[in-house]
Amino acid sequence: MAEVGKMSVMEKLKILTDAAKYDVACTSSGVDRRGKAGKLGNCVAAGICHSFAGDGRCISLLKILLTNECIYDCKYCLNRRSNDVPRAMFTPEEICELTIQFYRRNYIEGLFLSSGIVQSPTFTMELICRTIYLLRTKYGFNGYIHVKAIPGADGEVIRQTGFLVDRMSVNLELPTADGLRNLAPNKHRKNILAPMRQIQNGITQNRSEVAVYRHAPAFVSGGQSTQMIVGATNENDYQILNVAESLYQKFELKRVFYSAFVRVNEDKSLPVLPGGPPLLREHRLYQADWLLRFYGFRAQELLSERRPFFNVMLDPKEDWAVGHLEEFPVEINRAPYEKLLRVPGIGVQSARRIVAARRSCNLDFENLKKLGVVLKRALYFITCSGKMMYPTKLEEDYIVRQLTEKEQRIRFGSDGMTYRQMSLFDDAGFAGNAEVISAQEKWQTAMGQL
Amino acid sequence: MYVYRCEDTLESIFTAIYRVYEEHRPKDEVLLALDEEPRLFAEEMIVTADQERSGKVVRTLCRRFGMEDYERICFALTAEDVEKAQAVYRTVVSGLALREGAGYGRLFEGLGDAQVCKAFKLARSAERECCHLEGFLRFEELEKGALYAQAEPKNNLLPFLMAHFADRFPEENFLIHDVGRGIAGVHYRQTGPEAWVLIGGKGEKGAAVTKGVEAALSESELYYRSLFRRFCGEIGIRERANEALQRNLLPLHFRKYMTEF
Ligand code: SF4
Repeated sequence: MAEVGKMSVMEKLKILTDAAKYDVACTSSGVDRRGKAGKLGNCVAAGICHSFAGDGRCISLLKILLTNECIYDCKYCLNRRSNDVPRAMFTPEEICELTIQFYRRNYIEGLFLSSGIVQSPTFTMELICRTIYLLRTKYGFNGYIHVKAIPGADGEVIRQTGFLVDRMSVNLELPTADGLRNLAPNKHRKNILAPMRQIQNGITQNRSEVAVYRHAPAFVSGGQSTQMIVGATNENDYQILNVAESLYQKFELKRVFYSAFVRVNEDKSLPVLPGGPPLLREHRLYQADWLLRFYGFRAQELLSERRPFFNVMLDPKEDWAVGHLEEFPVEINRAPYEKLLRVPGIGVQSARRIVAARRSCNLDFENLKKLGVVLKRALYFITCSGKMMYPTKLEEDYIVRQLTEKEQRIRFGSDGMTYRQMSLFDDAGFAGNAEVISAQEKWQTAMGQL
Repeated sequence: MYVYRCEDTLESIFTAIYRVYEEHRPKDEVLLALDEEPRLFAEEMIVTADQERSGKVVRTLCRRFGMEDYERICFALTAEDVEKAQAVYRTVVSGLALREGAGYGRLFEGLGDAQVCKAFKLARSAERECCHLEGFLRFEELEKGALYAQAEPKNNLLPFLMAHFADRFPEENFLIHDVGRGIAGVHYRQTGPEAWVLIGGKGEKGAAVTKGVEAALSESELYYRSLFRRFCGEIGIRERANEALQRNLLPLHFRKYMTEF
């Protein structure tokens, strides 16, 4: 340990950033907080991206580990006990200084602090809590803070931490208890769900407290999120999506993040994926996640036991639409909002605009273009005053062929995979504001990168 | 035709809008011009910015259309476009023609109208640039602890940026320098939320701004710079490297003043 003590901050930052980079949740959204005299920082509900890394992912928070020492041995993790890697540990003051100095220079939107497990989960959680307390009080930091709640830590420490941070997350790690048993022998599903439930209850209780006493301190006001690794174990998309759905419904999570498995350890229990991390799969899951949260879809509509994986060529909404041609065409001037939302090429913004604009006149295809509808994709599924844009067949094979035409196809090369941008959220050139979704999330999800 | 010649400021343009109503002009025969171009057979009015009149317009816009739409108008007017004043004028006229209460949050709904659509597009593009800069702007610490940032925004966004950072850094002395326009916003520590002013302009004043900020960097500035570069270098996942996507999300022209590039 003497050696660790001598290490420079630069050296520590290198090690503890490298060790933190597989955590996905780098958004700073969901909280609106004005600046305060005597303090440093505020929060913007839409979130702010400060930079983009070489992998195209947004840099918003100073994402680091408190330490990469760990008593556990999760097979997929670089920091596992059995790995011989350089170890480091920040002092609370070092973390505070870095956060403040980065923040003043507008490098970052706040801090994202996670940690390997030292001594015990409770001990680790206490270290995290102490660091954040110092940052909020002595250093007067009023910006965004996201921390990991360590499964198995004492509930009281988690509760105290909750009053200091904007977001908390507990990693589900793997979609099913089986997967967890295989790859993370020290972790138990039960221990992961317990703090999730605790945070959920804390948020609910806090909501009613704030309703009564306006100045009651806020508890995790940006909500909680989680993440799971995709492709390390053999769950299918249908299972994963069902898990996500129940997390949204039963635990009221703000976000579920998916992280394409990267093989960092040589371990025979880990799969070898010749194509590298399953990025397209991850992208499809994000798109489907979006459909669950904003488009009123249920997991069961999108996939089934019989068809448990997403289509590679079509996004989940198109895929659903061509499989349900009996629901189409939809008449733009009459269909209810919920039906409009289900049309490929019509997003939340454009559906709203349609509903607003058709009050004053009958809409035609020219109008739709102005309202941000992507006609190239919508035209197979809609009519305006009873007429289709071109005479087209309402026939599955034909439409699939049209939608996956050459230039529209997803290029998935090594140097620059270009997803069809905004494909699902469309609103061609009319990317909306932060009403429903933060701008930040919108960008990232649209690009399949979080 | 009635031509109101305005200066390129909110105050002047709002004053012109007020005068159109005050002077009972037929709304369709009015042009708000920012250029000097002579127009045949037109009656010309030179607009002098007037705080009281423009203030009244601001209040009316906020009341009738809400803060969000008002902000959009302001964003549209940050654009470098000689026809922006006219587009905003037409948008406001069509909004005010609605009965009281009907236009709230709906000023820009009539996108079928070319002028409204234009104002909307200008606003949207300025707003987007502003969002980008709120994230991409970089401050460096000068000798005595003040922070200094440079930018070359396409739109005249300094007031928006100052408001954003004044709320964020109430305890800092900082200066944001719009290099292209030769103007700067200066924020003084601890003097309340309205603690900032804009200085400079074309010619000599602009040069003075540049001179004023030639101060030396603080001792620790280079240290934090290199820490942040190290951080950015480590945080990307090699197996997912995707420079095209990075360039897509962070276009090259922003990188000129960014520490990490
Ligand atoms: S608990 Fe598991 S995943 Fe977390 S740092 Fe330790 S080994 Fe890695």
